[in-house]
Amino acid sequence: MIFSQRRRIATASIIAAGALVLAGCSSSVNDTAESAKASSECGTWAMAMHAWNGYTASAQVVTEVAKANGCTITQTTLEEAGVTYDAMEAGTIDVIIEDWGGGRWKEWVDRGSVVEVGDNGNIGLIGMYVPPWMAAKYPDILDSANLNKYADMFKTSDSGGKGAWYEGPPGYTTIGEKMISANKLNYKAISTGSEAALVDVLTKAEANKTPALAYFYTPGTLFIKIPGLEQSRVKFPANDWSDAANASGLTDYPETALKKLASKKLMDSNSVFATIVKNFNWTNADQNSVAADIESGMKPAEAANKWIAANPDKVKAWLGN
Amino acid sequence: MRHFKKSHLLIGVGLVWVALSRIFQGEHTLELATADNTAFTTSVGDVAASIRGNRTKSSAFIYFFNPIRAAINGFVEIIRSIISVPSGNSIIPVIGWFGVVAIVALAVYATSKLRTALLVVSLLMACGALGMWQFTMDTLAMTIASVLLSLLFGIPLGIWAGLSDRVLKILTPFLDLAQILPTLVYLAPLALFFLIGTASATIATMVYSIPIAIRITAHAIRNLNQSPIEAALSMGSTPKQTLTKVQLPMAKQMIILGINQTVMAALSFVVIAALIGAPGLGKPVVDALIIRNVGQGFVAGFAVVFVAILLDRSTSAAAKAQEGFIPMTPHQIRGRRIKRAIAGLAAIAAIFASRSVLSLAVWPGSINIAQQVEDVTNHVTKWVTTNLYIFTVGFKDFISNWVLNPIETLLAFSPWFVTMSAIVLIAAVIGGIRVAMLATGLLALIVLSGLWHEAMITLTQTIVATLLTMSIGIALGIWVGRSVRAERIVRPFLDAGQTLPAFVYLIPMLGLFGPTRFTAIATGIVYSIPVVVKIVSEGIRAVPVAMIEAATVAGSTIRQIITKVQLPAAKKAILLATNQGMIFVLAVVVIGGFVGSGGLGYLVILGGSKPDLQGKGLVAGFAILLLGVTIDRIAQASARRT
Repeated sequence: MIFSQRRRIATASIIAAGALVLAGCSSSVNDTAESAKASSECGTWAMAMHAWNGYTASAQVVTEVAKANGCTITQTTLEEAGVTYDAMEAGTIDVIIEDWGGGRWKEWVDRGSVVEVGDNGNIGLIGMYVPPWMAAKYPDILDSANLNKYADMFKTSDSGGKGAWYEGPPGYTTIGEKMISANKLNYKAISTGSEAALVDVLTKAEANKTPALAYFYTPGTLFIKIPGLEQSRVKFPANDWSDAANASGLTDYPETALKKLASKKLMDSNSVFATIVKNFNWTNADQNSVAADIESGMKPAEAANKWIAANPDKVKAWLGN
Repeated sequence: MRHFKKSHLLIGVGLVWVALSRIFQGEHTLELATADNTAFTTSVGDVAASIRGNRTKSSAFIYFFNPIRAAINGFVEIIRSIISVPSGNSIIPVIGWFGVVAIVALAVYATSKLRTALLVVSLLMACGALGMWQFTMDTLAMTIASVLLSLLFGIPLGIWAGLSDRVLKILTPFLDLAQILPTLVYLAPLALFFLIGTASATIATMVYSIPIAIRITAHAIRNLNQSPIEAALSMGSTPKQTLTKVQLPMAKQMIILGINQTVMAALSFVVIAALIGAPGLGKPVVDALIIRNVGQGFVAGFAVVFVAILLDRSTSAAAKAQEGFIPMTPHQIRGRRIKRAIAGLAAIAAIFASRSVLSLAVWPGSINIAQQVEDVTNHVTKWVTTNLYIFTVGFKDFISNWVLNPIETLLAFSPWFVTMSAIVLIAAVIGGIRVAMLATGLLALIVLSGLWHEAMITLTQTIVATLLTMSIGIALGIWVGRSVRAERIVRPFLDAGQTLPAFVYLIPMLGLFGPTRFTAIATGIVYSIPVVVKIVSEGIRAVPVAMIEAATVAGSTIRQIITKVQLPAAKKAILLATNQGMIFVLAVVVIGGFVGSGGLGYLVILGGSKPDLQGKGLVAGFAILLLGVTIDRIAQASARRT
């Protein structure tokens, strides 16, 4: 039975393929190749893709603008930081459009393989968030000094008798353990593995009115989806970030101007893509609007082109020198 | 000692362990905060950093690593430009999709049956229809490249090991090690020397597939019927003549079977190789995990399964075609020649067509059912995760509170010397003094690495996952072993389970159980059940019919036959299955670091993305290896000693 069915499918597909041969005879491959070659001055460049929705929004908009200007852009998903800097050194990646790390790329910049291209306009703020229902019911929970009082509520079967502290994924900038020890908190950091898992934790907690304490960050569309989340950030004592390398006293995340990094190869070229990357700059609201479209099911390219069509002035500014 | 039963001794060790654990709970656990380094991990990190810094300067890189990287990259790129990526100034590969389908189909047709050729065509077309054509071609290119390189080194080494006992003795520990080594472990060290990209990925795949090529080739040479060889030698053949004229031709079929196994091993690596930049189907799977799009993961996962079936059927068909020593009649030979000539001409025509017609060169975008498959999968998963979440979380909590946490407390939160002594004593009871000494050495190294606590957390998850796997696997294995119908029902699931990459179902598991240790455990169970069921069912089937008949005649019930006859007789198979299951589970449990399982796997992953923890990640990888060998040796000893 199975075989005869397979055979029938196979026969059908061969017939279909034959039909395609006949149908496709009109278009010649070589013509298309010529026209593609004509506009290939920009060259082929590789964009690193990191695993959060906001990054996708920025990277896709830059990609679409570049494509419209004759560039061929490939996208490669990679973990943040070292892995990607290595890839830039190896020549397989040319652009990181949003990097959160404060100068962790120094080693690669010193070696001359990676170039810091400046701010991308987005301001990042990482924090520990509780679902808004908790902030409403226990207003003092937003002060880190009171977290221990509520630690029991946050216990799970995985938190070893302490409160569960849902930490960002391995690739992200995280200092949860240091925050816990510096503030003497009775919590255990549990790695979540992906942005989607964090979204899941906070969304379920708000929907089911269950407790949760989780890592999140702005810009991010989750704040649109869960009203009040932005105000539910737990405040920790301020700390001195002037000495980020010696991080033992870290107690909270600072606001960070997000950076663009590029390969030296790209920056040395006269490609229009270098210009676009150099000038690319937009606000958190811009990024959120594209990210929200992607999240609601639009394909990234579609969402990016929608924003590009609505913001011709901004795009034009990126193209000028 | 001897008059104590082993089980009594084990219970004794367990009781003392629990008691000591209670008393000294939380002391000397060697816990180390995730972000902290020890002096040792810092120095490993420094070494790694200096290696990285010297990539452009040191002569080891300039004259050794970089040329190898360039050569392998070039080799893979050539294959890719033939079937996958635009070649040269063109916008299409040398051979378009239609040409690839034709070549594969006709090659399979020429070496085996029409039916297999049609199957292969439909599988390839299905990959295209899933919108995965180029990824599929990249995977094929990577697989072809790494298999060719594996065979290039593996077959000569295998022949050598087949002829010389000394070579075999030297190679065996390395072959064993390569098979125990969880795949996640050697990605970071390779990337350190060969950078992220196709070269690292190809070498990583080879580490995985070469041992199989060596083993099967050596086995083929060793298990030949000796009389023709003796005859050849006695008639004055030189050893070289004997090898090329007698031994190799005789071993040919087995060696081709080895090629089949090598291909399958290389293919099973495609997904994890994407973590270090391999092009291919692994990319969409890993992307899907990161953005947690179950549907996208399954679409790519199906393509992996299709490619697996395709490669398996076509290479095993080639192996079967070698069958038989009966020479073909001239008529048959002519028939075959004509068949091959027609196939060859048709292939050339197809290649030509695929080069001149765009819709035959690039898979037409209009034929794409990826979105539909993705949507259906996502809907089903969404329904399952929202409606069954209460149950799955309940189950997770139950296992976590009553099994996982107590074992973790015992292993990871007792003083390290208590846990270590207990494991060594268990090893001594099960495997004797030599295994105990080996375990002592390996565990001491883990302690010295500074990552003892994390290792015990990983060990806990491995043990719990193995316990659950075995309880499901033995039950299924008995059922499959006793009934032909059951085998027919279960077999396709087992085959799919073995080829579907673990990453694909890691995503729905995450949806069902959240970012927890149990997600890793559940994934490990799904991954290892097929191999356990296969070994157990074969063990049950191997029980002599006479034994069962005797029991039946004596009036035993079915239950009695299973528990008193079949299970005891299949004890060795069950222990072997436990050993295999544990190794499989370990390989997946460490990948659970991606979804919140903590332990050594998390440190490996963390080391890949945080420069200041790179050394710790490398040490964690080494600790996984030590843990794997310890588990393997103890489990193997228990299987051997029965």
